[in-house]
Amino acid sequence: MKKKVLSVLLATTVVASLLAGCGSTAADTAAPAAEAAPAEEAAPAEEAAPAEEAATEEAAPADDAAASASGSTYALVTKSAGNPFMDRMATGFQEAVEDAGGTVVIQNPEAATPDAQISVIQSLISQGVNSIAVAGNDANALTAVLTEAEDAGIKVLTLDSDVAPDTRAVFCNQAGVDQIGETLMEAVYDLTGGEGDWAILSATSQATNQNAWIDAMKKLMESDSKYSKLNLVEVAYGDDEPQKSTDQTQALLQNYPDLKVICAPTTVGIAAAAKVLQDQKSTVKLTGLGLPSEMAEYIGDDDAHSCPYMFLWNPIDLGRLAGYTSVALVDGTITGAKGDKFTAGDLGDYTIEDIDGATQIILGPPFKFDPSNIDEWKEVY
Amino acid sequence: MAGKSGREISAVPASGIKGKLLSWEGALILILIGVNILGVAISPNYNVSNVLREMPRYLAEIFMMFGMGYILVLGDIDISVGALVCLAGTITVLSSNAGAPFGLAVVICLAVGLLGGMLNGFIATRFTELPTMIVTLGTQIIFRGIAEVLFETWGNGGGTASMADTKGLMLLAKKIGPFPIAFFCVIIVGVVMITVLSKTTFGRKLYAIGSNKTAAYYAGVKVEKIRFICYSLLGFLAGVCALFLLTATFGSNTTTGQGFEMEVIAMCVFGGIATTGGKGNLIGGFIAAFIIVCLRIALGQRNINTQIILVIIGLMLIISVLVPSISSAITARKKKAQT
Repeated sequence: MKKKVLSVLLATTVVASLLAGCGSTAADTAAPAAEAAPAEEAAPAEEAAPAEEAATEEAAPADDAAASASGSTYALVTKSAGNPFMDRMATGFQEAVEDAGGTVVIQNPEAATPDAQISVIQSLISQGVNSIAVAGNDANALTAVLTEAEDAGIKVLTLDSDVAPDTRAVFCNQAGVDQIGETLMEAVYDLTGGEGDWAILSATSQATNQNAWIDAMKKLMESDSKYSKLNLVEVAYGDDEPQKSTDQTQALLQNYPDLKVICAPTTVGIAAAAKVLQDQKSTVKLTGLGLPSEMAEYIGDDDAHSCPYMFLWNPIDLGRLAGYTSVALVDGTITGAKGDKFTAGDLGDYTIEDIDGATQIILGPPFKFDPSNIDEWKEVY
Repeated sequence: MAGKSGREISAVPASGIKGKLLSWEGALILILIGVNILGVAISPNYNVSNVLREMPRYLAEIFMMFGMGYILVLGDIDISVGALVCLAGTITVLSSNAGAPFGLAVVICLAVGLLGGMLNGFIATRFTELPTMIVTLGTQIIFRGIAEVLFETWGNGGGTASMADTKGLMLLAKKIGPFPIAFFCVIIVGVVMITVLSKTTFGRKLYAIGSNKTAAYYAGVKVEKIRFICYSLLGFLAGVCALFLLTATFGSNTTTGQGFEMEVIAMCVFGGIATTGGKGNLIGGFIAAFIIVCLRIALGQRNINTQIILVIIGLMLIISVLVPSISSAITARKKKAQT
């Protein structure tokens, strides 16, 4: 009987290895990564050299690869699997790197936690990839593992969500404060026709990013005479709760009969306000930052729709920017220092900025969602 | 050897070399070798130094596997330990950032784990009518809840905190040769825990309780006292886990330790410890832990989708619990054929 047990077990092992085989075909982006690995990379690894030796040898190909993008491997670690925003970002990353002739490895951690990202990054260090771009699940927890990656000669950058600035070369930021302020202000100017009352519907009164954007808009109104006929009547706070945002919108409509435009730079606020305006068939127009999937039914140019257009970031372009940045870091065009310049394919030229001690590359103005593209994007995120 | 209840008294170990080789543990060793061969075959980077470098995060979990093994042998379960790791890690980071020297922070970390385990043990032994799954589900929510409150009140907000002074942790993360310190600690704790369970009367009492609690009670075993000790021990090991996890993350956040309890239970079950109690031993769990870790590292290096890795581990787990019932079915059929 015991022998039978044993044979069942051996069969289990075989099944496990078969499954492993299936797995590698399923991970389509993964397969070429290992096959295309340069010979020098594979050779020292197989010898099972002692720790220190192996570490230095692993680092070597990263330096050798400075010549061109081909033969180098660029890794992207997303926040989690099954996240449409991250999936689009990965698509863009892959496009950019393949455009430059590099090999792509895209890894989704098994859970949306920094712990799961640590395992994935550790594995990428073992594989001796040339660069790792990561959308951090936590600002601090990746410090140790990213430092280890940099010590092994791997270029580290972040996108979407930054980590501690001294553990990565540069951060690919989806949008800068000033660009958001400018874009929203321009939208308000356009929708009001250049003059009249408008209001802001924000999240909570202490939300850092909201306040930064609102301050940027206020500064623009003061400094640019173009906006002098615009009258900001109130900044209302909906606390990012649908009900409270709805109440605040109704209060704005009641208190300011001449109101022309509401600008809501928060995804919760804009969705709540859009519903109120559309249900009441109000003439007040809406713009701001919103999720296409939530806002699709409110976006339109006619009076039946409350929001002519709104903004958010484009995940594909963010991924592409990170891809080109990875390539530039590995081939030595940039080091991640302030003032470094490089060309990110057809995205154009970028310069690394230093904002509050964190070096970053800002993707550009937010992406505009209007009736012409909303049907396509509402499926995305 | 099946008793009247149909349960095998498996605490009596198989004798002789042949018996040992053909046991579940022998099979696990074969699987471990198989997994390593697989690793070398599929990944050019699967070598001793890389595997040991990737291991520390997983090693932290193995500490808890030993404690969980005791709890499962008792026929109990504790699903709060993942959250306890989070709480212990969080308090350690916050107290260190508040100026506690590293030595004190270590003591605090272990003490928080021990106290959390004692709380579990206290509730489980005072209110024996409560299923331990529910008790520890409650404490799981409490532990993680406290950690989140602490982040808000003493941290910088955002549900995450990093250790400002990492010198002590760096020391713990050091390697002796290619082996991380955590590796030696796991071996030492493992040898002690395995010996206690298999060679001492205390260990035998655990099997007695797990096989039949009432019978153990009437045989003079202090059932509740022993259960309390085991829960406290598991809590303490959760503190040890938190400490070594910190050497990999240098900080704590609200998701720290998420899912650890299930991974640890999986290691035990794959190692042949029955969740119904009274069966299996820690050597199996120990080998199984390394099988899972090596498999994860090997498949990870091949960039296999992490979700597929989870599926593979899940399948292995189900097959491993099916094997005993399949083999007993075969035996039953044989017996039928003979008569």
